[in-house]
Amino acid sequence: MIHKYLIVFFIGAGLLACSSVTGIGFEAEQIAVTGANSSDNVIDSLIRPYKVKMDAKMDSTIAIADQDFTKGRPGGALNNWAADAIYNQVEQSIKDQLPKLCLLNVGGLRNPINKGNVSLGDIFKLMPFDNEVVAVKLPMSTIEEIEAYFKKSGGEPISGAMVKAGKIRFVEDYINPRFFWVITSDYLLGGGDHMDFFTKGIEIQNTGLLMRDLMLKEASEQGRLIWDNEIRISF
Amino acid sequence: MKRRDFVRTTALISGCSLVAPSVLSRDVGRSKSVKSNRLTILHTNDTHSNIDPFPMNHAKYPGKGGVARRYELIQKIRTEEENVLLLDAGDIFQGTPYFNLYGGVLEMKLMSKLGYDAVTMGNHDFDGGMDGFVKAVEYANFPFLCSNYGFSNTPIDGITREHLILEKGNMKVGIFGIGVELNGLVPKVKFGETKYFDPIEIANDQAQQLKEKGCDLIICLSHLGYAYDDDQVSDLVLARRTKNIHLIIGGHTHTFLERPVEEKNMAGETVLINQVGWAGINVGRIDFEFEFKKFEKKDVLFVQ
Repeated sequence: MIHKYLIVFFIGAGLLACSSVTGIGFEAEQIAVTGANSSDNVIDSLIRPYKVKMDAKMDSTIAIADQDFTKGRPGGALNNWAADAIYNQVEQSIKDQLPKLCLLNVGGLRNPINKGNVSLGDIFKLMPFDNEVVAVKLPMSTIEEIEAYFKKSGGEPISGAMVKAGKIRFVEDYINPRFFWVITSDYLLGGGDHMDFFTKGIEIQNTGLLMRDLMLKEASEQGRLIWDNEIRISF
Repeated sequence: MKRRDFVRTTALISGCSLVAPSVLSRDVGRSKSVKSNRLTILHTNDTHSNIDPFPMNHAKYPGKGGVARRYELIQKIRTEEENVLLLDAGDIFQGTPYFNLYGGVLEMKLMSKLGYDAVTMGNHDFDGGMDGFVKAVEYANFPFLCSNYGFSNTPIDGITREHLILEKGNMKVGIFGIGVELNGLVPKVKFGETKYFDPIEIANDQAQQLKEKGCDLIICLSHLGYAYDDDQVSDLVLARRTKNIHLIIGGHTHTFLERPVEEKNMAGETVLINQVGWAGINVGRIDFEFEFKKFEKKDVLFVQ
């Protein structure tokens, strides 16, 4: 669709500017990029070697999904799978006996996992960002800030704890701990999505591992992806 | 057959002469001299490493996009028009494994081949870190325009520039880039010492500079985002609170505008804002037709 307009603007006499334009008209359209390109396209030949190498890597099946995994708020099967995957892979590396939870963000899960064969490419689509997993030790006093964040956002992927009637409850029992660990991404730790409570962290443990690589590892270890659609968050 | 269903005139200052609507018609055969008063802007935003078209079973955009197809339609327009500028409003990186595997090198090679004239940086263009950006940009033959990021003491220092002036036909076109606040969008480690300057203040300053340099058309490549519910600076806000900008080519919010939106700037003049979604699904096209002041005898200072 083309739209035609005329705009006129004015270069008044005596201005410093030396533009001598007295009027500008315009027409506009948004051109859909669709349909096939010709077979001798030079761009195709530039892409081809990159694509061949990439496709071979991406098409390999790493696991099977018996159902669709989709994300949602307050929760969804994809929220649970992703948070559990990161929690399972990292939890052991935190040595002290403090409560631990994994907290991710709904926005960071970029694609569902569809029922059927799960390829390397599917995990790339789910987690295209090269985010590193980090663990942050927070004082218990920040729990309320996290609860307030959940309430405002409507829910984020969580593992190792649940949010019941707006209150965070760790899966395991602890007696008056002063601190707890949050396993998350460097993106969120660094201020992403304004999870400002992370600025109160008193210790940070870098894993040096990418979220995506840990999801890949968990997926291959599971073989058949564990589908858990329980809503872990309520207000 | 292309449909033209929207014709109107906007006179911003009474008494101004209007460009005759007839000269806007693309179908009418035109002489060289008219063509050189015409400028075609083609633009993309948020292409996000979408190099191949979406697969045919894609839920929302089956078969849409693809750099090869984009190249062909741009080439076709280049054969039809004398003065074409190809621009991008940022977030070139991130979104497909092409970026994860090759770090943006292929995106830069392709955009160079497509003949981009200028682009600006989006927040995701920091995703490979600043060193990653610098490495990828070695393969770019077009400039990155960023006027409100301070890159001193970072690896990007000297890689970008604030603005660019291009002479096309009879027109002088000034282009500058405005980026979004990185804090909260990009991990600190990825943008390091980069300083963020007020987009409105900087845009006004850039547009003023370009005007003083005699630009006939001033374009802002913006990665601020089209509009927000809260008071975050958007393209709409930018348009209203600046002057001397004629066109804002936006990005970041992946907004599919049906046509350029018209806003009034601080001086009551019209500013166009356009944004074409994301992933290279659409290319925006705006054809400008310029009318130049006719010199009268009393204006002629030197006579041979």
